[in-house]
Amino acid sequence: MDSFFQNIVNALQWGSFYALIALGYSMVYGILMLFNFAHGDIFMVGAYLGFFVAAGLLSLATMGILAIPNWLVLLLTVLIAMALNSIVGVLVERIGYRPLRDAPRASAAITGLMIGIILETGNLAILGAQRLSFPSLIETQTYTIGGVAVTNKKIMIVAVALFLMLVLHLFITRTKWGMAMRAMAYDFAIIPLMGVPINRIAALTFGLGSALAAAAGVLYGVAYPILDPYMGILIGWKAFVAAILGGRGSILGAAFAGFLLGFIEIFTATIFPSTFRDLIAYSIILVILTFRPHGLFGEAYSARLRL
Amino acid sequence: MRKSHLLLLIALLLIATVAITACGSSGPQTIKIGINAPLTGDIPKVGEGTKFAAEMWLDDINKAGGLEVGGKKYQVELVIEDNESKADSATKANTKLITQDEVLAIVGPQSSKQAVPAGEVANNYKTPMVSPWSTNPNTTLNRPWVFRAAFLDPFQGVVDAKFISDEFGFTKAAVLYDVASDYPKGLADVFKKSWEDLHGAGSVVAFESFTTKDTDFSAQLTKIINSGAEVLFTPQYYNEVALIVQQAHELGWTGPIIGSDSWGSAETVKLCGSDCYGSFFSTHYAAAGATGATKEFIDRYNAKYGYVPDDVGALTWDSLNLLKQAIQDCGSITGDLGKDRQCVRDALANIKNFPGITGDMTFDEQGDPTKCAVIVKISDAGEFEFYKSACP
Amino acid sequence: MAVKTDSFTAPTKRRLATFWQPYTRVAMLSWLTGALVAAILEQLVGRPLAFMLGLGKVPVLFGLVIILKAPLLIPGVIVYVLLIYILPIGLIARLTTKLGNKLAAELLRYPMLVSTVVHLVLLYATLQIWGNINDYRNLVLRLTLISVLITLSLNVINGYMGEFSCSHPGFLALGAYGASAVTVSLFVNDNLFGPAVFTGNWGWIIFPFSLILGGIIAAIGSLVVAIPSFRTRGDYLAIISLAFTFIIKSFIENLEFVGGPRGLSSQPDWANLPTVFIWVVVGVWVINNFVRSTMGKALNAVRDDEIAADAMTVNTRRTKMVAFMFSAFWAGVGGGLFAHVLRYVNPSTFGIQKLAEVLAMVYFGGLNSVYGSIVGAVGFNLLSEALRPLEIFKWIIIPVLLILIMIFRPTGLVAFKEFDVHQIIAPKE
Repeated sequence: MDSFFQNIVNALQWGSFYALIALGYSMVYGILMLFNFAHGDIFMVGAYLGFFVAAGLLSLATMGILAIPNWLVLLLTVLIAMALNSIVGVLVERIGYRPLRDAPRASAAITGLMIGIILETGNLAILGAQRLSFPSLIETQTYTIGGVAVTNKKIMIVAVALFLMLVLHLFITRTKWGMAMRAMAYDFAIIPLMGVPINRIAALTFGLGSALAAAAGVLYGVAYPILDPYMGILIGWKAFVAAILGGRGSILGAAFAGFLLGFIEIFTATIFPSTFRDLIAYSIILVILTFRPHGLFGEAYSARLRL
Repeated sequence: MRKSHLLLLIALLLIATVAITACGSSGPQTIKIGINAPLTGDIPKVGEGTKFAAEMWLDDINKAGGLEVGGKKYQVELVIEDNESKADSATKANTKLITQDEVLAIVGPQSSKQAVPAGEVANNYKTPMVSPWSTNPNTTLNRPWVFRAAFLDPFQGVVDAKFISDEFGFTKAAVLYDVASDYPKGLADVFKKSWEDLHGAGSVVAFESFTTKDTDFSAQLTKIINSGAEVLFTPQYYNEVALIVQQAHELGWTGPIIGSDSWGSAETVKLCGSDCYGSFFSTHYAAAGATGATKEFIDRYNAKYGYVPDDVGALTWDSLNLLKQAIQDCGSITGDLGKDRQCVRDALANIKNFPGITGDMTFDEQGDPTKCAVIVKISDAGEFEFYKSACP
Repeated sequence: MAVKTDSFTAPTKRRLATFWQPYTRVAMLSWLTGALVAAILEQLVGRPLAFMLGLGKVPVLFGLVIILKAPLLIPGVIVYVLLIYILPIGLIARLTTKLGNKLAAELLRYPMLVSTVVHLVLLYATLQIWGNINDYRNLVLRLTLISVLITLSLNVINGYMGEFSCSHPGFLALGAYGASAVTVSLFVNDNLFGPAVFTGNWGWIIFPFSLILGGIIAAIGSLVVAIPSFRTRGDYLAIISLAFTFIIKSFIENLEFVGGPRGLSSQPDWANLPTVFIWVVVGVWVINNFVRSTMGKALNAVRDDEIAADAMTVNTRRTKMVAFMFSAFWAGVGGGLFAHVLRYVNPSTFGIQKLAEVLAMVYFGGLNSVYGSIVGAVGFNLLSEALRPLEIFKWIIIPVLLILIMIFRPTGLVAFKEFDVHQIIAPKE
């Protein structure tokens, strides 16, 4: 039973990453109807940006120019990495997606795939083959509550992830820009006629998604402190599965599906021999989609989206 | 119109005749050696180590004015091919090296995933190949043309199992390995078998796996911790080691963690930090406290590239020197590639007690060296300290 | 032509057009003869000529590999390509224009099969002689041919039916393992399956069977994706198919009797150039007939509007199921051939990387087009071999090129073009 609660904690942390990355996919997908296959690699770039920001801030701190505590460094790292990565996201949209807005959607998916490869290889070419170790900004503290080991990092990661999701949700439901995004998701063709600046909204969507990816990247660096250029591929594709599983363009659905995927993966590895994890986990996804062909919260063949 | 055609035809014929009469072959002035390494893909650091060691080796040759064979100096050319850390790409690269670049011999590929299929190619084309780092038995099995510079998994697994039993007196072990990768999977199986030979069936209380590129091992580690295991054996690559060890400690694991030769990278400690201090692993050589030629190699490499070489670098260095020795033993380079390759292979097979920087080597009939393994402890200063050696 | 003509000044353009004009009347028969002569010429004088030009040896892929390694040799390479390929082909095409057209017309008086076979024999002879130069070229050639088959089979689903299927690596894996399991267990002394059952020379009969078996296994496997596709499509199908790829990879990793993650090696060396050529030609021919049949039109109808198609009496369920099984079958055959060319397979060969590769080939070449798949597969394979010397930068150049192609030709290089055999082999004047 101990291991049951322990695994719930494990799954919450792991699911947070899927959920945060899936949100980026889901927004682009819901609003622009595109698969942004570069998103996993944008997440990777976010983690690297976080690394450099953190390293820079730490060296400033050691030189005595900027004496700030480590938790503040982490907070600043998250914010700066989010800001920088949103620029990357906007650039990706400008270069890889905007020229293809009227092209078949699959073509844009291919450019996304290719931009992803460029980001990976470019990173390898610039930074070389060694992997980077994310500086440990907070001292790990393990609390054992009834046999369940919880670290302060885990609590922080889940809390920050949930907080960001809440902020995104409020942004989309309560602000004018959010309304414009929802409107665009509702009808792509008519909305420019209403005076909504379509290009700016598209850039905003990418920027927001990339900022979330950067947050995920920094948190990831805290939890799994090893960065390599290919770190975004697998997690990206799996988050993509979560995004669609949640239902087209459903923000809450994507977040929920991200956590669900985390739970499925952790618990299949626990219950069955762990060699069968992918086999069983993705069979479950397949079965879910066979019975709910439009995702968990999606609607059948409808332009209507809930964002 | 017709005139221009006629002109073309004449030009063509002219060149053709000149070409035929000028027929001839270049003298065997250079010796080409192919390097098949993972420069991109999953383990680029391994490719980098290979490339650096090879370049250093070539420098030495060039400084000496070439490789002296039978009293005559030959220039040496290295043809480095990237295998993208993929099996199919490694076979393609080997085919290209052998048939297009016409290399005399090949060093590489490093990991068994590529070395097993690439060895098949080298064997089919009767080209000597030395894989520095591959420990999977199938790489050289029934392939007279394929050699290696590392020891084998069946040997290493037994060494690790024995070491843990002798050192700590434990009887319950857990294993965590990557099911999708040749090397960890093979070694984990061997370890499990030899551990159960020592302590009876069921003494490996948790045998858990994950898939390449996974970074979260919490489910598996939770299982391992709850299984009552006293020691964790994890034959993983350096990048995964750091994650496994840290997560194990975060989840409350307090026992020792033992690794294999894939830990032997300068990156292990850099990435893992103090979490790895006090762990043991079996490997080919211990960088800290090395003496003689080994130390010289380490110092030169460190001076040139700025970090202590991994075992891959050391083994690549040894493989190239083995080849050099074999070429020199050959006595002469005839220029007839088939003949020279045969000669180099025979010379390789006959090398006795080769003094490598990773230990003395003599090949058995499968082309595997009989050599000792070293147990290394990661000291509290983060250095790889020699702890014990284990010979077959 | 890929060249952007509007960047030329008008006179150059006109001159180019007048230069090219006579070549538009050249029949395929003459082109192929020219290529054959070029291949023979290379066989005869390639080596000494290359030596004379300072290239050392015959440039393996039109000199593309050399150019990047030693830029100083570029003039030599250009002269070589000009003398061995371009001039002979151009010359023979011009000289035999009349004869070729006449012969082509003559051939067409018999059933079309005769003329097709004549063309194919010429093509095969060219490839065989060209690939004879060295084994590396031969290997690249075989892998390229197999890529054509694989790309084309994916085009059936992604191009003609308009789905975004990510399941192809799974189908390839099923075919590769299905075929290999048969051949390795029956014919090879191997540590997984034990000693060979047959020792005789039965390859010529068993190999086709094992390939077909691999194809059938892939086709059955495809039902896992095809059946959910009745109720959903587009994005949801994309991830169903992606999950399928993950599942198959994990499944094979757990199948110890085919070697698990260690892979399966030492397949018998049966996939030589003639075998691969025949299978690929048969595959292209069957797929081309399939997509031009009413079934193919039904696929297009499903793509454009499923509900309307249903209303027009297209049985959409049957159409989808047949398309998936058909596509998977040929992918499986391709996978089987692939396994026997490399003579080694392991599950991680069929992961996300393979997926990106096949998708890139389909969309690079062009959707809904047999021509496109041929162009895509050949172009991609040549490019990725030619850029090998760049090491890391290869994977920056290729994606950049693909992005540019997607931006300027969003549906791929040669999309929506019918592959009409009669038109190809017919006389041109």
